[in-house]
Amino acid sequence: MIGGLFIYNHNGEVLISQVYQDDTGRNAVDAFQVNVIHAWQQVCSPVTNIACTSFFHVKRSNIWLAAVTKQNVNAAMVFEFLYKMCDVMAAYFGKISEENIKNNFGLIYELLDEILDFGYPQNSETGALKTFITQQGIKSQHQTKEEQSQITSQVTGQIGWWREGIKYRQNELFLDVLESVNLLMSPQGQVLSAHVSGRVVMKSYLSGMPECKFGMNDKIVIENQGKGTADETSKSGKQSIAINDCTFHQCVRLSKFDSEHSISFIPPDGEFELMRYGTTKDIILPFRVIPLVREVGHTKLEVKVVIKSNFKPFLLAQKIEVRIPTLLNTSRVQVICMKGKAKCKASENAIVWKIKRMAGMKESQISAEIELLPANDKKKWAQPPISINFEVPFAPSGLKVRYLKVFEPKLNYSDHDVIKWVHYIGRSGIYETRC
Amino acid sequence: MPYLGSEDVVKELKKALCNPHVQADRLRYRNVIQRVIRHMTQGLDMSGVFMEMVKASATVDIVQKKLVYLYMCTYAPLKPDLALLAINTLCKDCSDPNPMVRGLALRSMCSLRMPGVQEYIQQPILNGLRDKASYVRRVAVLGCAKMHNLHGDSEVDGALVNELYSLLRDQDPIVVVNCLRSLEEILKQEGGVVINKPIAHHLLNRMPKLDQWGQAEVLNFLLRYQPRSEEELFDILNLLDSFLKSSSPGVVMGATKLFLILAKKFPHVQTDVLVQVKGPLLAACSSESRELCFAALCHVRQILHSLPGHFSSHYKKFFCSYSEPHYIKLQKVEVLCELVNDENVQQVLEELRGYCTDVSADFAQAAIFAIGGIARTYTDQCVQILTELLGLRQEHITTVVVQTFRDLVWLCPQCTEAVCQALPGCEENIQDSEGKQALIWLLGVHGERIPNAPYVLEDFVENVKSETFPAVKMELLTALLRLFLCRPAECQDMLGRLLHYCIEEEKDMAVRDRGLFYYRLLLAGIDEVKRILCSPKSDPSLGLLEDQAERPVNSWASDFNTLVPVYGKARWAAISKYQGAEYRGPELPNTASFATSGPLIPEEHKETVQEPDSGALMLVPNCQLTAEYFEKTWFSLKVAHQQVFPWQGAVHPDTLQMALQVVNIQTIAMSRAGAHPWKAYLSAQDDTGCLFLTELLLEPENSEMQISVKQNEPRTETLNGFISVLETVLGTIGDIKS
Repeated sequence: MIGGLFIYNHNGEVLISQVYQDDTGRNAVDAFQVNVIHAWQQVCSPVTNIACTSFFHVKRSNIWLAAVTKQNVNAAMVFEFLYKMCDVMAAYFGKISEENIKNNFGLIYELLDEILDFGYPQNSETGALKTFITQQGIKSQHQTKEEQSQITSQVTGQIGWWREGIKYRQNELFLDVLESVNLLMSPQGQVLSAHVSGRVVMKSYLSGMPECKFGMNDKIVIENQGKGTADETSKSGKQSIAINDCTFHQCVRLSKFDSEHSISFIPPDGEFELMRYGTTKDIILPFRVIPLVREVGHTKLEVKVVIKSNFKPFLLAQKIEVRIPTLLNTSRVQVICMKGKAKCKASENAIVWKIKRMAGMKESQISAEIELLPANDKKKWAQPPISINFEVPFAPSGLKVRYLKVFEPKLNYSDHDVIKWVHYIGRSGIYETRC
Repeated sequence: MPYLGSEDVVKELKKALCNPHVQADRLRYRNVIQRVIRHMTQGLDMSGVFMEMVKASATVDIVQKKLVYLYMCTYAPLKPDLALLAINTLCKDCSDPNPMVRGLALRSMCSLRMPGVQEYIQQPILNGLRDKASYVRRVAVLGCAKMHNLHGDSEVDGALVNELYSLLRDQDPIVVVNCLRSLEEILKQEGGVVINKPIAHHLLNRMPKLDQWGQAEVLNFLLRYQPRSEEELFDILNLLDSFLKSSSPGVVMGATKLFLILAKKFPHVQTDVLVQVKGPLLAACSSESRELCFAALCHVRQILHSLPGHFSSHYKKFFCSYSEPHYIKLQKVEVLCELVNDENVQQVLEELRGYCTDVSADFAQAAIFAIGGIARTYTDQCVQILTELLGLRQEHITTVVVQTFRDLVWLCPQCTEAVCQALPGCEENIQDSEGKQALIWLLGVHGERIPNAPYVLEDFVENVKSETFPAVKMELLTALLRLFLCRPAECQDMLGRLLHYCIEEEKDMAVRDRGLFYYRLLLAGIDEVKRILCSPKSDPSLGLLEDQAERPVNSWASDFNTLVPVYGKARWAAISKYQGAEYRGPELPNTASFATSGPLIPEEHKETVQEPDSGALMLVPNCQLTAEYFEKTWFSLKVAHQQVFPWQGAVHPDTLQMALQVVNIQTIAMSRAGAHPWKAYLSAQDDTGCLFLTELLLEPENSEMQISVKQNEPRTETLNGFISVLETVLGTIGDIKS
C-alpha cells in the first residue's frame, strides 16, 4: 500500500527515509523535495502526483511527512496513518520538531520498522508497541525474561491493544475532555457557523483487565436511563446536551451502546482516545469579539476591538491571543491596549495581542491606528477577519462526565480505590469574527 | 548517487568501525553506526563500509542489530556477494529463543532485495509460518509476498498458497489481514485473492477484532464477493452497519463503498447509506486534520454529482475561514457552487461575494468562477453581483468577471442585455490574454448593443503592434469583422488598417492567414461575409450538454474511496494511462533531469486545478479523417459496441451535425434528410489517439436508431464515455424536435 515514507525538514533536507516496496526508488525522495517543498507557489493539494507516483503529505510545524505510493489507495486511510505515525512519535519523544527527530532518529527507524511492513500498517497502538521497541539509551541491552514472556503471551491475547499481566501499585485514571470550538461570526455579531469537535482521552494505569463504565450528560443516554436521572437533572442546573455524532475507540462495546446506551469497555493500558464527538447546538461561546473599523481618509484606518469573556467569573481563560490581520500596504501601526501585550508583527502581517489570563464576564479592548501607503487601487481591500486563540478550563459543548466506574472482579480492588482525575480543556479551533 | 566528498566520509567511518576501541565500547560503536545510517538517509553512497557493517551485525545489542539490518536492506542489491556473508548471522537469529529477534531477522532477510537469496529464505519462512509467536507469523506471512516478488514472474507455489489460505483462520487478527495482503500480491496475475462464501463470512465475523487498517483493507477485499441471494446480501449489510459509524474516517468510507457496490440494484439502500454517512462525512469536513478534511471534501463533491440536494441544509459547514489552507478553500467553493438551491442561494451568494475580494488572487478568481457557475440557474442575482465586482476596478477580478460573462451569454442568452450594460469601462482593467479575448469576443458578437464598442476595439487596433498574444489578435480580427457587419460606418477605416497590418506586418502565420482569409472573404461581397460569419451562432439548448445531468450513483461507486475523486476523473485517467503504458517501466526521472522537466509538472497541475472535473474521455477537436481512410478502417475493425436508441420521426442532418461538432465528433458522411433508411458515419478521436468510428442507422419502420461503434484500441472505459456522450447528443436533438 505505502511504497515509502519520508520525513523532511523545512528546507527539504531528508531526515528519515524508509522504502518498503521495489517500485519506489530513492529518486522519489528528491522528486517531492523539488516539486513540493521547493515549489514556488503555495501548496495546492496535500496529494501530489509526480510521474505517476502519489505523494501524500502532512505538515507538522515545519516538518514534512510524506507517504509515497504508486497504487490507487484510499486517501483517507493514508492520511490517518500519517496522523497515527505523528501520534506515536509524539508519544515517544514529545513535539515533532527537527531537533527531536534528529535526536531520536534511530528510534524512528525502529518505529517505522514495526508499524509498517512491506508497506502495510501493522501494530500501531502505542501501548502494544512498547514491548517491541527498545527505546535507545534508556533500556538495557538485554531484554529481561519478563519482557520476553510478554511478547509470547500477547500471541494468545484476542485483543490486540492490550497487554497482559499489568500491575500498578496505585490504580489511577486520568480523563481529559479536550474540545476545540470553532466559530465564524458575521460583522453584525450573527453566528454563521459554530461547532465543537471534542475528544475524551483517557490515561489508564489500572491493574489487570478492569471493566469500566462511563457516563456523560448526553441527551440520548440520559433519556434512556429514565427515572433515576430525572431528579438528578433537576438538581443540576445544566441539562443534557445533544451530541450529533460520536464514535468510540474499538474497545467500547458498540452493541451495548446501541441497546442500553451505556458506554462500557476494557481500557487499553496507557493513553488512548476513548471517544470523539461533535456538536453544533447550544454551544457556549467563551469569547465574543466586537470589531470596529473606521476609515479616516484614504490612508488611515482606526481599528478598535473589544473582547468579552462569556463564562463563570471564577474561571480563568489562558493563553489568549487575538490576531488582527493588517493589509499589505500598511506603513505604520500604533497600538494601545489596556491589558496584556500587543505588537505589530510585520512579517506575519498582523497585530498580535496576547493576554496571559482573563477571568469570566470581563471585557478588554485594544485600539490601533493603522497608516496605509497610498495605494493606486481606488478601492481598498476589506479588512480580513479577526481570529482569537484561547484555552478555557471547561467544555464549551457543555459535556460533563457524570461517572466513571471501574470493576475488576479478579484482582482485589474496588471502584473506590482508584484515583480518578477529570480535566476539561476547551481550546479555540478556527475562531473568527469578520469585520 | 554519489555526492562530492562522500569518499572521505566513507574512509573515516570505515576506520572508526574497524577500530577495536570503538568496537569495545557499545555506545560509541552504536554511534558510529548511526552516523552511517544518517549519511545513508541523506543520499550519500555508504556501500563502501558494507563489510564492516556485516561484522557489526553479530552482536547481542538489539538496537545495533536493527540499525545494521536497515543498512543491509538498503545496500544488499549493490553488494550481493558480501550480503551473503550476513545470511549466516540472520539464519542463526531466525532460531533465537526471543520471538522479537526471530521476527526481526526474518523480516530483514526477506527485505534483502538481491538475486539468489530465495534459497536461503524459503526454509526460515516456512518455519516462521508455523511459529508459535504471532509476531513471527505476521512477518513470515508478508515474507511470502516478498519472496514471490523476488522471483519475478515465476510460477506460483501452490503449496504455499494453500498454507496461506489456511492461515486465514489464524487467531491473530493481523496475521489474517497480512495473509490477505500476501495472497493478493502473490496471485496478482490471476486476479488476486479469491473471496468465496466461507472466507467472506469468516472475515465478516472477524471484522470487529481487527484494527482500523485491517478493517479498511478487509472492506476493500469484500468488494469482490458476490452474495448468492438477496437475503445473504442484507445479512452482510446488517453485519457491517456499525462500520458506517466507525471512529476512523477511512473505515467509514470503505464501508460506504462496500454498501454502494453491494446494493447496486437497490437505489433506495444506496440513498439510505449516503444519508447515514452524512454525519461522519460532515464531521470529517470540519475536522482539524486538514488533509483528511480535503479528502472528505473531494468525496462530498462526488456525492453531490448524483444527489445535488444532499448537503444543501448544511451549506454553512462549507463556508471558508480565513486561516484555512488554500486547497480546502478551493474545494469548499466548489462544493458551495454545487449545493445551491432556492432556499440558500441568497446566503451562499453573499458568502461567495465576500471571497471575491480575498487577498489571494487565485481564491478570489475561483469564487468568481463559482458565481458564474451558479449564474446558469440563478442568472439575475449573479449577474448583478458580477457587475458590482467590476466596480472595484481590480485587474484580476475584472478579467475573470469578463470571462464568466462570455460563457454566461452563450449559455443563458437572456442575460445579454445586462452584460452589455456592464461592459463599458472594463477595458481599462484588463491586461491578460484570456480576459482580453473574452472582452473582444463579447464586443464583436454583441457590438450593436454596446454604444462604445467600436471605440474600444479601435484602442486595441491602435496598440496591435505591441500586442504579445497571437490569440488576442485573432480574436480581434473576427470581432472587428463581425462588428463591421452591423456598424459599417464606424468600423470600416480601422478594419482596413487592421487587415493591412495583419497581412503586411504580422509575423505570426496563423494570424496572417486569418487576415488573408477575411480579406478574400470581403472581396467575395458583403452578403457572403454575412452568410458565413452570422450563420446561427449556437443553440443555447445545447447548453444541456455542458452541465452534465445528475449521474447515477453506480457510475462512480467503484471510484469512491480511491484516488479518483481526489485527482478528478480526467486527471486520473491521464495518470493511469501513463502508468498502464509503462507499467513498472521507467521510474521517476533522475534528479539531474528534474531541473529541466521540473516546471512542466506544476504547469500541468495548474491546468487541472482550474478544471478538475470533466469526463474521463477527452475528445480532441479537429480530428479530420478522409472518407477513404475512414472506409478502410471501418472495414478492418470489429463492432465494439452496438445498441439501439429510441427515435421518432425524421432526422435534421444539419442540427445533428452541429450538435456533434460541439462535442468534437466529426461527421464523415450523412444521408439527406428524409432518406430511407437514413445513415450517418461519424468519427472522433480522444487525447490518447484512440479512434471511435460510428454508424447511425435509422430504419423507418422501427422508430429506433441503431448505433454501432468501432474502436481501434479496445478500451471499455473510454468506449463507455464516448457512448454516453453520443447518447446525450442524440437525446438532446430528439428532445428539441419533439
